[in-house]
Amino acid sequence: MTAPILRAQDVTMVFGGLTALSEVSLTLDRGQIVGLIGPNGAGKTTFFNCLTGLYTPTNGQVLLDGTQLPSDPAHVTIAGIARTFQNIRLFPNMTAVENVMVGRHARMKQGPIATIFRGPRFRKGETDARTRAKELLDFAGIGRSGDELARNLPYGDQRRLEIARALATDPKVLLLDEPTAGMNPQETEATRQLIFKIRDLGISVVVIEHDTKFIFSLCDHVSVLVQGKLLVEGTPEAVRTDPRVIEAYLGKPPEEVQAEVQHAAELVGEHGDKGVGQ
Amino acid sequence: MSEKTFFTNPAVSRVLGVAGAVLAVIAAMLPWSTFLLNKGAYPDKATLQFFDAPFELTGFRWELLIIGVVALVCAVAKVPAQRRVLRGLGAGIFAIGLINFGFIASAGGGLGAVTALDGTFAFGSVAALVAGVLLVLATIGQPLEEIPRWSTKLPTPVAYLGLVVSFAALLYVVSLTLTAGGQGGAASPYSGPMFLSFLGFAGGMFAGAAGLGVLKWISRLSEQHRVFSIVVLLLCALSLPFTDAGSEYWMTVAANIGVYAATAIGLNIVVGLAGLLDLGYVAFLGIGAFVAANLSGAAASQLGIHLPFYLVVIISAAIAGIFGAIVGSPTLRVRGDYLAIVTLAFGEIFQIAARNNIGGLTGGSNAMPNIPALEWFDGTAFNESITLFGAKLPSGVLYYFLIVLLIAAVMTVFANLKNSRMGRAWIAIREDEDAARAMGIKTGQAKILAFLCGAVLAGIAGAVFAHKTSTVSYESFLFMESVTLLAAVILGGMGSIPGAVLGASLLFVLPEKLREFSDYRLLIFGLALILIMRFRPQGLIPDAHRRAELAGEDAEGHTLQDKPGGDEPEQPKPQEVPAR
Repeated sequence: MTAPILRAQDVTMVFGGLTALSEVSLTLDRGQIVGLIGPNGAGKTTFFNCLTGLYTPTNGQVLLDGTQLPSDPAHVTIAGIARTFQNIRLFPNMTAVENVMVGRHARMKQGPIATIFRGPRFRKGETDARTRAKELLDFAGIGRSGDELARNLPYGDQRRLEIARALATDPKVLLLDEPTAGMNPQETEATRQLIFKIRDLGISVVVIEHDTKFIFSLCDHVSVLVQGKLLVEGTPEAVRTDPRVIEAYLGKPPEEVQAEVQHAAELVGEHGDKGVGQ
Repeated sequence: MSEKTFFTNPAVSRVLGVAGAVLAVIAAMLPWSTFLLNKGAYPDKATLQFFDAPFELTGFRWELLIIGVVALVCAVAKVPAQRRVLRGLGAGIFAIGLINFGFIASAGGGLGAVTALDGTFAFGSVAALVAGVLLVLATIGQPLEEIPRWSTKLPTPVAYLGLVVSFAALLYVVSLTLTAGGQGGAASPYSGPMFLSFLGFAGGMFAGAAGLGVLKWISRLSEQHRVFSIVVLLLCALSLPFTDAGSEYWMTVAANIGVYAATAIGLNIVVGLAGLLDLGYVAFLGIGAFVAANLSGAAASQLGIHLPFYLVVIISAAIAGIFGAIVGSPTLRVRGDYLAIVTLAFGEIFQIAARNNIGGLTGGSNAMPNIPALEWFDGTAFNESITLFGAKLPSGVLYYFLIVLLIAAVMTVFANLKNSRMGRAWIAIREDEDAARAMGIKTGQAKILAFLCGAVLAGIAGAVFAHKTSTVSYESFLFMESVTLLAAVILGGMGSIPGAVLGASLLFVLPEKLREFSDYRLLIFGLALILIMRFRPQGLIPDAHRRAELAGEDAEGHTLQDKPGGDEPEQPKPQEVPAR
């Protein structure tokens, strides 16, 4: 086995008095798809932001390919981690191709002087970037919409465009924040196939998702975050059947809840009696 | 679908349209004021009775007659996108009516001047206003049509001819606009309203043409034949001195506008592309101008050197660029409104420093006079008059030529930057800075570079400006100029090159033309800006993402160029709608 491509060790993130993440660790092997699930507010997106340099963790460290990540999103992307956003954040007034070409930014080398004089090398770089962008759009299945403005694309295509744009940065690791939010079953299935295709390119993927069925059918490894802590991790099979996960998602089994309710009622009853007595 | 009202009835629309057009024509022939205005008849024969001299319409009434007849033709005939066309023409007619109604009423001292007084009637302006309203009402019943798409599948010679004719027409319109209303002053006391009326007329006609799809057709055609269009446009710009506008006065005005247009394009990088609000931009123009003044042997210069012009330009640009980078550096920490305040402060610091003659470099309130004129290789000074192709051109024309070339260069730089890795990064930052950073763009560097590029362009413009005006004073670089430049960019359409040029032309020609409104000048100015921003928030010539539409046709354009007159069946393009 080779060393993991991405390793987060004991990442802790504190905002003022609020501990959003406490000692979360995650290991991503090459060519692996890891899922990150958890109820709302569990800290999944905060964890992503720590991985991409948007936040600097209060404690703990993130290693990409054995080196510490820089603490600036641009440099993280240059180092090889690309991401998509939970609420789509495309450049709405640029065309789809241009959006993807922005993703090529860090991999192109053109200074202002070359830009102004447009020599043959500049033009070749520009053509290459455009060609690559079109390839990526085809790869993501939206090759026909290249000249549409991003804001005019249908919702599902916008999600795909965001993935294509992230791929344009030539990432080693791709972080997808709820890639199927708001999609119908067919679109979700298409996205699943797309993520497999990305994995087959040799890119390791971390996915945040609420749709547990989607996660369990996609990932090699699943981590469950609850209230900023890593609750369980393991294979999809192990996580699915883990009682703590079921509890975190669905609450406790009915009989236990019943017992608790009864207990609470008794407590209230006691207090009530006291109140009347006095 | 929509609620059924009186105006949705097609018959009603038709009647309203025809009635409005007819009324506009009649309005042109009616008297407009009940008595002679103090400064003489306005314009020429505003009090003319139709029955006295029916064929002697001049000035705004002639324009109204033309636009009325065009509206009548469009209302009766079945033209494509009829409602769009009529709405544009109607707005133009309304504007002409409103301008003259307001002017004659205020100059004549009351509404009596534009209605009835002492048994004399003059309902021309009222009729024009009603005509404009009727025409617009005729179009509100139903949604506006799509703008028709005329085919640009033309044999190359025909396309070239179309472009040449279009650009020549544009040159003619520019010349007319520049000279409309005359120079002002005692000789033509009514230049302000005459100019505004002409703007209303031209605006109405352009809106009509845009509704017909003619403007889009021209712009698509010129995209297809880019190089040819650029050459022809440049030639047209260079031949302006050969038209009616070729007098010393108009050449000076045009050259001044040109300097500001070039500066506005530079500002467009900062504001239009990178989305950074800069309220002190004119300071860079000032820095360029003062550096040039000091290096070119102005009498007051303490350096006492006289470098050749090309060196002066380079040094001015470099120094302005350095200041640009310095002013831009707070963008690393400061965003949005706060950045605007930083730039505003910089503009004020520059202005106050220049006023106080810091380091003896700016001349303070004495300014920097007597900057030597540039000289052509044969020793002809740029401010002498020259003879070219047998035509005697007024003095200052060489500066005009220089500035046209300057604008061409600045446009090229802007376009090249925009369609590059750097330009895309700027636009990405404008659209969503966090997402841009997540794409690997070092946003701090990119923003400073935007400031730097903008400042360099302004510095070059400043160097030319210094030589052209021969005197550089801090008074040319006040806050008001920064605001006007910003307004020019926004008015023209952010990120658009022709927009910046048009915006700068309008905003810097208006004060020249509205001298006689002196007290109300800013009021009219502000009102016009508010109206334009209300009804056309994207700017006059927005930066349309036309490439999308053009994708199919670019390839087609190439095939046509490769095979001149190629009449082989082309591959059918599914998205191409044949000309209607």
